[in-house]
Amino acid sequence: MQPLANVTPLKPPPRAGAIEVRNVGQVFRTRSQDVVALEDVSLDIKPGRFVVLVGPSGCGKSTLLMMMAGLRAQTSGTITINGAPIAQPDPNRVGVVFQEASLFPWLTAEDNVEFPLALRGVAKAERRAKAQDALKLVGLEGFGKRHPHELSGGMKQRVSIARGLVQDPPVLLMDEPFAALDEQTRMTMGDELLRIWAATGKTVVFVTHSLTEAVYLADEVIVMSPRPGRIVDQLQVNLPRPRTYEMLSGDAFGALRDRIWRHIRKSA
Amino acid sequence: MQATLTIKLARVAIVIATFALWELLSRTGLANPRLLPSASDTLATLGDLLQRSSVRTDLLVTATEVLTAFALAVPMGALIGFLIAENRYFADVAKPLLFFAFSIPKSIFLPMFILVFGVGFAQKVGFGFFSTIFIVIMSTTTAVESVKAEHLTVARSYGATRAQTAFRVYLPSMLPVLLEALRISMIFNLTGVILAEMYASRDGIGHQIATWGENFQMKQLLAGVVMVAAIAMTFNELIRWVETRCSHWRT
Repeated sequence: MQPLANVTPLKPPPRAGAIEVRNVGQVFRTRSQDVVALEDVSLDIKPGRFVVLVGPSGCGKSTLLMMMAGLRAQTSGTITINGAPIAQPDPNRVGVVFQEASLFPWLTAEDNVEFPLALRGVAKAERRAKAQDALKLVGLEGFGKRHPHELSGGMKQRVSIARGLVQDPPVLLMDEPFAALDEQTRMTMGDELLRIWAATGKTVVFVTHSLTEAVYLADEVIVMSPRPGRIVDQLQVNLPRPRTYEMLSGDAFGALRDRIWRHIRKSA
Repeated sequence: MQATLTIKLARVAIVIATFALWELLSRTGLANPRLLPSASDTLATLGDLLQRSSVRTDLLVTATEVLTAFALAVPMGALIGFLIAENRYFADVAKPLLFFAFSIPKSIFLPMFILVFGVGFAQKVGFGFFSTIFIVIMSTTTAVESVKAEHLTVARSYGATRAQTAFRVYLPSMLPVLLEALRISMIFNLTGVILAEMYASRDGIGHQIATWGENFQMKQLLAGVVMVAAIAMTFNELIRWVETRCSHWRT
């Protein structure tokens, strides 16, 4: 267990939230052959940026995200966050938001949010206060006593985001968090996420299949292709913020989405 | 499951009707009263039997055997089941074998238990244990498999230690399945011990029931049946009550 002193660093370390991916490769050895899941991937993500990874299934975008979370080891290359390598999960630096069904059904919403703090033995009163703040931030004030099965899909993902933010890490990694939601909820959650991101100034790395969602949310879209997984394009999205629904039908938006689509069509 | 009042009343009505039919069949002579003593006579006999110290001793003997077998079989079966489920190789090797073993009627091994342990406490506990452990192992592997990979990843991403993962993820995930397993194990366990007592024993309620049967003491026999049934149902309902308390854990 981490010492308690690490729970709330007095001063954020320099370059808090910067992510550097250097020549990362991943090879799965099977009996018949070696499968290259990722090949020579390098990325520089500046603090506070909203970066989206897109690409067809099998391009290694989720694998790359899991490596940034320290949940999976790469075969070669290095990944640093805040200037230090990440070899294992470090909740002080990284919060992870998974796909649906990652909440513990036997815990209430607030107990789910407190879970990361409970693991490190934070006192109950402090835990509760932080969980309330996080729930308030995601717009779920007053829903803390409910169990996940009493919440809608969108609300569950808000709880997941609150859980990812409760330790105030500089980086939030999100693995297709809205994939299981219906279209309207998904749009609303996108707006909510942008609001939370603007309020907290976190670095966000977001994996999705949806090109519209990618362009709508991102400062920068990283396009990946499979066999072997590698980066084929990096687009700067210079649309003004806050993003609005009307932008979806604009020319600039369409041009960016088309550019991503052409890459994906080529590799699929 | 939330039962409405009418459903509950219907259930009570069926139980009362069953006893009423039983009483009627016996009183009118439609069923031979020597083979089927009336419900009221049976219940009166049950009251008498419970006053007798010999019957109480028998009940105590059976309870001790049942609980001993249960206390041995459940933790040991759970441990074996957990080890099998946690190791891919063991699981692949052992699971079909367990299914084979489970399909064999356990009663055919009873004579061997008598030969090995002699007639007595060890034989009955041993057979109760043997009747129970397979279902415990199989249920535990199912319970371990009910732990979601996503939940383990979440715990890992927040830096959970092995002990924290065990107590905060495995245990609560498995608990509903384990409670169900406990309930079913007890049915197997009780069946095993009472069968062993009826087959060869000097004491215990199973032995008494067998003796009453052999001596054609139908009132006592039926009273014994009601007694054992009541004990089994009480235990069953107790665990079901705990289960409903944590029903929201199931998703």
